[in-house]
Amino acid sequence: MSGEPVTLGKIVLVALRELFAERRHPDGLAAALTFTGMLVLLESLAFGPGRAREPATASAVFWIAVVFAASLVTMRSFDRELEDDAIDAVIALPGGREALYAGKVLAIAVVVAVVAIAAGALSILLLDLGIALPGHLVLVGALGVVALPPVVVLANVLTLRVRARVALVPILAFPILVPQLLAATQGAAAALSGDAAAALGWSGLLAAFALVYAVLGLTIVPAAIE
Amino acid sequence: MLDDRPVLRGATLEAGPGLSLLRGENGSGKTTLLRALVGLVDLTRGRRSVTGTPLYIGHRPMLLRGLTARENLTFLASFRGVRADVVAALRRWGLEDAMDRPVDRLSAGQRRRAALARLETEPAAVVLLDEPFADLDVDAIILLRAAVNGALARRQAVLMVTHLHHELDADAAARFHLKDGIVTPA
Amino acid sequence: MIETTAAPFPTLRLRPWLAPVALAAAAVGTYMALFWAPTDAVQGEVYRIIYVHVPLAWLSYLAFVVVFLASIGWLWSRRPWFDALAVSSAEVGVLFTGLFIVAGSIWAKPTWGVWWTWDPRLVTTSVMFVMYLGYLLLRSLSTDFQRRATRAAVLGVIAVVDIPIVHLSVIWMNSIHQLPTVLRMTGGPTLDPTMGLTLGVNVVAFTLVYLALLGERMHIERARQRLVLERRS
Repeated sequence: MSGEPVTLGKIVLVALRELFAERRHPDGLAAALTFTGMLVLLESLAFGPGRAREPATASAVFWIAVVFAASLVTMRSFDRELEDDAIDAVIALPGGREALYAGKVLAIAVVVAVVAIAAGALSILLLDLGIALPGHLVLVGALGVVALPPVVVLANVLTLRVRARVALVPILAFPILVPQLLAATQGAAAALSGDAAAALGWSGLLAAFALVYAVLGLTIVPAAIE
Repeated sequence: MLDDRPVLRGATLEAGPGLSLLRGENGSGKTTLLRALVGLVDLTRGRRSVTGTPLYIGHRPMLLRGLTARENLTFLASFRGVRADVVAALRRWGLEDAMDRPVDRLSAGQRRRAALARLETEPAAVVLLDEPFADLDVDAIILLRAAVNGALARRQAVLMVTHLHHELDADAAARFHLKDGIVTPA
Repeated sequence: MIETTAAPFPTLRLRPWLAPVALAAAAVGTYMALFWAPTDAVQGEVYRIIYVHVPLAWLSYLAFVVVFLASIGWLWSRRPWFDALAVSSAEVGVLFTGLFIVAGSIWAKPTWGVWWTWDPRLVTTSVMFVMYLGYLLLRSLSTDFQRRATRAAVLGVIAVVDIPIVHLSVIWMNSIHQLPTVLRMTGGPTLDPTMGLTLGVNVVAFTLVYLALLGERMHIERARQRLVLERRS
């Protein structure tokens, strides 16, 4: 049913549809926020106040929490999509598969950004983190938030209507996310500790990942949506 | 192919403008055939050729929970790139008071009505309906028959899966029966 | 129209010969590795694990490149033959990668005193291992032939694209942290010619073993496909 290309307009439509639904029933966001907050709290306790304040530890805790949050939000989003077969109405339309993938990525990046801001604020307050380069930290944060959803959405797409989907999504997504997680963690740690060059370098890498997956997502992934 | 089990084997079906009815026992593959026609199911072998982008209304409403009926229909029409008077259509289908409630707070019949209102908001040369009468009350059945007649008057091709409603036979241009994965004219 | 059974090109009837030839080559390779090749001046006898380790490394990467190519083939042509190739190579690949990690670990203990170190190659290999375990898991949990093949193919392509990225990011992380590079292949380019030949023979022998296993596994998969796809009147 392809042929007609996907347009930016269609992608934005799917993203808006997602955000409207999430705003009306913010169960994905609520679960992700609670989970992230709890994870930051627990991990900081487990590391002890001294270690948890180290840039490397604090940023690792933060990003692991965000990755889990992204996967929670995305799974909830696709659960909703499968109720009443809502997804079928979209993918039966020309350009629907591509728009569904890209629109979901866009919308989930927005939701994950909200979670990341909350979790970041919590970490900073809770651990009394000193931030050497706030601008760089925001840059790494923004690019990290953009780099995660393409892979998480991909893992959800590959497991649609498959048994044990809840277990399979992290199993597929997390190994692929290793570079993104490394780059985001290292970049954030560098920004916290004042290494501008490293923070910028890792940011560039994150931007490259986002680009690679945007291309893959719009070329080969739509074939897998069913 | 469903769960590694072939559902259709050499089903050939050709339907032009007018009403075509597809019947068959439960589990005979009627839904799979419709889904294959819209491209929701990959064919192991074989071809499909459908004029334009068909409108497929499945036996589940295919509306996103969390959005209202109005939002759902507006989204789908915009995605097709058509301007539609969604409010008027939903009003005609008796959803005046319900159209701004999220669809998860509607009854099964109301959801069904909202889904069928797409017949009016999304014009398509080919319309595929999977058991459209399910969950409908008498009023809605009359509405549906009127909507189908409207579509036929516009020279749309309507392919309907239903195992009841034999009164439609009189209006049908073609009737098919699906058994053991093979379509035969009935 | 989609042809369901035929291979996309004429296949040679090599399968019956592969297993005996591979077995013979492996016997020769093993003999050379254990008795013919000289003892290493620095590491002593322990180094001989290289004759297993290097071929396994080569094969684990080869196997996944084959999965990648087969996945592209499926996405391109939807010929079940490609799906059979992909799943067969993935299974053999996971086996070899697992053995590769174990062999590396056994070698690391006497040489560096640790079972595991966060070296880029080790990290990449273990991530790759987990990724393809996920690939096989996805396959085993999906029920529909067409859907399984397509989704697995997408993952097969993505995974191969991701592997160099994983490798690069780990290298970069280590270089920033100035970790001492503990892993250097002993000998390197100045490998003794006898050792070089032994290594070459073993690489060839292991590749033949891979091809033999691949052939057998594909044979089974093709039979299974015929069962599923041809069950029609």
